[in-house]
Amino acid sequence: MARHSKQNIRQHSEHSTNAGTNGAQQRNQPDHVVAEAIDLTKVYGDADNQVVALNHVNVEFERGQMTAIMGPSGSGKSTLMHCMAGLDQPTSGQVIVEGLEVSAMNQRQLTKLRREQIGFIFQSFNLVPTLSAEENILLPLQIAKKPIDRDWFRQIVKVVGLEQRLTHRPSQLSGGQQQRVACARAMMARPSVIFADEPTGNLDSHSSREVLGFLKQSVHEYGQSIVMVTHDPRAASYADRVLVLADGNITQDLVHPTYDQILEVFADEGEEPSA
Amino acid sequence: MIRIGLRDARAHFGRFVMSIIAIALGVSFVVGSFCFREMMNNQVDQMMASNSDADVYVRGNKEQKDSSSSFSSSSSSDSTSAESKSYNRIDISLVDTINGVKGVDTAEAVYEVNGLVLVGKDDNAVSTTGGMTVGMGLTKGTWRSATLTQGRWAKAKDEITLHTFAAQSAGLKVGDTTKIVYPDGPADVRVVGIFSTASSQAGAIIIGLNPQTAKEYFQQQSGQVGTARYLTVYGSAADGQPLTVAQQQTLADSINAALPSDAHAVAVTGQSVRDDNAASTKKALGFIQPLILIFAVIALFVGSFIITNTFSMIVRESMRGYALLRSIGASPVQVFVTVAVQAILLGLVGSGIGIGLGWIMVRGIVMLMDRLGTPMTGAVDPSVSDMLVGLIVGVLVTFIGAALPARRAATAPPIQAMNETVNPEKPVWPRGVIGTVMLILGALAWLLCWRIALADDTGVAVSPWNGFNDWLKSLGTGWPLGIGAGLVVIGVIVLAPALVTPTSAVLGWIPAHVFTVTGRLATRNLSRSKRRTANTAAALFVGVAIVSCLGVVAASAKASVAGIVDSGLKSDFSAMSVSNGQIPDEAINAIRKTNGVDTVSQSRMLMGVTYGSGDDAAAAMTFAEQPSLFTKVFAPVTNSGDANAALRNGELVVGLQVAKDNGWKVGDTVKVNGRQVVVDEEATAKAQTDYQAQVKAKIDGLTAEAQQLLASGDVSGAQSKSAEAQQAAEDAKNVDPTTLVKTKTETTHVTMKVGAIIENSIYRSMVLMNDDAANKIANQYTMFTIMLFINAKHGTDIDALKTRLIKAVKSYYVVNVQDRDEFKSTMSSMVDQILLVLYALLALSIVIAIFGIVNTLALSVSERTKEIGLLRAIGTSRAQVRGMLGIEAAIIAVFGTMMGMVVGVAAGVVIRVVYQANGLSVLSIPWNQLGVFLALAILIGLVASVSPASRALKQPVLDAVAAE
Repeated sequence: MARHSKQNIRQHSEHSTNAGTNGAQQRNQPDHVVAEAIDLTKVYGDADNQVVALNHVNVEFERGQMTAIMGPSGSGKSTLMHCMAGLDQPTSGQVIVEGLEVSAMNQRQLTKLRREQIGFIFQSFNLVPTLSAEENILLPLQIAKKPIDRDWFRQIVKVVGLEQRLTHRPSQLSGGQQQRVACARAMMARPSVIFADEPTGNLDSHSSREVLGFLKQSVHEYGQSIVMVTHDPRAASYADRVLVLADGNITQDLVHPTYDQILEVFADEGEEPSA
Repeated sequence: MIRIGLRDARAHFGRFVMSIIAIALGVSFVVGSFCFREMMNNQVDQMMASNSDADVYVRGNKEQKDSSSSFSSSSSSDSTSAESKSYNRIDISLVDTINGVKGVDTAEAVYEVNGLVLVGKDDNAVSTTGGMTVGMGLTKGTWRSATLTQGRWAKAKDEITLHTFAAQSAGLKVGDTTKIVYPDGPADVRVVGIFSTASSQAGAIIIGLNPQTAKEYFQQQSGQVGTARYLTVYGSAADGQPLTVAQQQTLADSINAALPSDAHAVAVTGQSVRDDNAASTKKALGFIQPLILIFAVIALFVGSFIITNTFSMIVRESMRGYALLRSIGASPVQVFVTVAVQAILLGLVGSGIGIGLGWIMVRGIVMLMDRLGTPMTGAVDPSVSDMLVGLIVGVLVTFIGAALPARRAATAPPIQAMNETVNPEKPVWPRGVIGTVMLILGALAWLLCWRIALADDTGVAVSPWNGFNDWLKSLGTGWPLGIGAGLVVIGVIVLAPALVTPTSAVLGWIPAHVFTVTGRLATRNLSRSKRRTANTAAALFVGVAIVSCLGVVAASAKASVAGIVDSGLKSDFSAMSVSNGQIPDEAINAIRKTNGVDTVSQSRMLMGVTYGSGDDAAAAMTFAEQPSLFTKVFAPVTNSGDANAALRNGELVVGLQVAKDNGWKVGDTVKVNGRQVVVDEEATAKAQTDYQAQVKAKIDGLTAEAQQLLASGDVSGAQSKSAEAQQAAEDAKNVDPTTLVKTKTETTHVTMKVGAIIENSIYRSMVLMNDDAANKIANQYTMFTIMLFINAKHGTDIDALKTRLIKAVKSYYVVNVQDRDEFKSTMSSMVDQILLVLYALLALSIVIAIFGIVNTLALSVSERTKEIGLLRAIGTSRAQVRGMLGIEAAIIAVFGTMMGMVVGVAAGVVIRVVYQANGLSVLSIPWNQLGVFLALAILIGLVASVSPASRALKQPVLDAVAAE
């Protein structure tokens, strides 16, 4: 049932490289890796007043997994995700998504990348207020002028449970519903990887569980790759893998940790786990 | 708190640039319009002071309906030109009586001759856009403000003295010979002197003539002999200086005491005459200021609106700061003050720049007029009160604009301010209802206006209530038209927000289908803030409405004139005098003799013809025509009767307007009173006797003196005296007997029948009769050829004939021969010139509107930072974001333009219908022009979106998304 066969993606990216439409460098990347950071460094501020957000970070994100990035405020977790998603330019090092070097892309290539490889889920839902739920979900495809797969749409809508709400405007939806629309939107274009920035940050625990459940389902049933930044150990416990950042370095790399394991890590760090 | 406001202002200065420009433009229009009016008033006052500088005027004491008929028919303008009061004419012999009054220095009748043409150094007629060419009988003492700077005053018919401006324009010096075209043809003259006046004459060419020559032509032109409109009197009380008002009054009183009671004359102070004249002139020029003020209002409206937007942006962005201030204990008033301080500062800066701009603007206009040949010496610098008005308006508008956002900043609860939630807009349906009601009322006013016009034209009652009808009739069409227009315009502005959603759905249909996503997003964005969208569009709306209304009127005027020519005019050429005067008989003969001319029809205007008897006598422009007029020149549009037969049978052919005014019907008989100038045998005989007696007395005196000297032994003295006596006798023989001929005006009364009533628009306000009938009531002194219509012989090459005709009349300078197309385009080019001015104003309102759109989009972009970031994050390209904003802007612009066009065209149609009787017989809507406006609107929108879109794209996607 995995709609994202690896082969498809490979073919797709090779095709685009060969056609020369996406001038980014093609990198050899193992098939199981959907995105990777190589010696990634991000420094804010000027020479006198430097803040190192990412300090020579090397990390690979596995295809078909949900990876959570955790860490205290200022640990660089958001910076890592922004760099990975091409939202921010690293100071040095490389970001590779699906074999394409994101860190060397210009605006046009970035736009193409966002249309084809990347999906976003934000903390504050970020729906277009003038569009209905359905229009919001279909927006990325329409922007990219890609054909709409109605079956896929119905399937996603059913999974996120928004069948009755499709004609509603965002202002007529609850926070949880809005975030589920945002998830459906990210899923709709079947991107290589979805970056989720604190997707449950503005939700109550019930809605959080719904959204996280849906994300997990999409990983397991459809082979979606998801990278999620979160403060919340409960949210992180849904992930297949948890990376812990502190002061710009990856300090822990836990595979299938339990909630307690995660709490423990933070206890070690001497930090309050929740935001 | 004020300090915080000032610091904020400094930080936001970049934001304020657009607001400052808008305020400055608005204020500059306000100041400029006041300044311009003052300059004109000042100019008029100066000209009055130097041109009507007599201490006392003696004029008739009975007010008259002005029967002076200026030849300005067929123009479509309504007849609201300033009418100065007119009095009965007085006998010039009163001069002698007045000269005998103590305190009178000189008393004189100054004659003016209009319609002269001065031929310049380059052998072309001197003409300026500023004004006409006037000849005045001038000699020492007749015009105190005129100072002879070179040479002497003209003493004979072949001598002239020129005003400095005239000399300069013509390139003539003292001693040069040139030609002057008098009403009866050109004459060689020598420039013998140059004089200057205290104020500039606004482009008028003034020629000083020998007083006797001026008198002759004046009498010829006016058909009045021995009378004058007024006599000018200079007093001696101030030793050649102008008298004070009190002195003028004293002098006037003593003159009044001396005037015989049957002279129907009264002396009034110079000041009162100047005031009256100035007032009527100023009234005539008064329309210019409101026109400029309309654009000032647009600019200020947009300005205040831009300020609201700008401050909304600033307040929105600083909301956290305000919330912080509030949470640490600042009162709402204090927060309000921090915003208000910025607004006031901005208003001050904008107004200051605006005052400077307004001043430059008026300077520019004056310079332009100078270059076009209308020098102005009126003061152009704004007075303190002008500046104060500008400053107050500017600051007030800014403050009003900023008040709402400032209030929002002050009253928002701290928590809400920190969270920044967007409150939904208030519903717009109440505005829809109010706007619709106003629109309906406006339309009703227009309907009423049309009914009144119809009632005037055809006598159809406006309503079943008589009293109401009378009241409406007295109201006229102007008020309902104006009120209707005002209601419609304001109604549309009020209604506009309610129209935004449907309109953007309709206008957005094409973009939404061509650019699926961006088009749809753009369309929906417009409905988010309906008031803002509507206000932005309103700026364009008003400007476009004015221009398209006038465009319709102008196009209709053109089409109407063209229609007259196409449907009615049968002759091949027309000829007119460019000086608006008569065509010299020699010129007419020259045209007749030109090879290829078949017939020449003469239109001769009869001076001073009245109809009816006694006090009810009504004046009407009366023309003598050949019987063949209706078959060879103009096809008649007959209302009743047979125009052609009537003219041939010596009956009156009456224009519809005249017939209606006087209540004439075909078959009525009318008493026609004409004027003839004839030799007054008795007076001439008396004058000759008097002159002979005078000469005899002089000779007798000299002879007696000679004898006396001879008796005392002074032989040489006696000889010289007797030589003088002989000389005097000789002079008397040589004197031109015509100068001793006294003429008088005789009124002839003839009863004529109204044979037909016609409604050709050029004949609407005229009475026509054939030459035979005209000769019974007028003679050559009271009848002038105004226009010729020339038919070519069958088979003649029209172009070649035209060249020959032009050559034939070349030596008369004033005669302008036009073929049919040129005759048509005379009117068109005039209309086009007016349109040119309008387009300049439109361009300005477009600039202002662009500011409005740019600003609205900038605000909208700032509010949608996150949303645009999101769109970028999910793969919207830069071009798509630009496209979205471009479509938004274009729809706003098209929305405003379409509202403007609909209202403007409607107003134009109403005006056309109302003034149908004044010549706007054909409705023509300039579709091409409107199409261009629409295309221009789209372009404007796209241009306006460039900068806000760049701003939106400059924001990194990350910041946009993370902007919490």
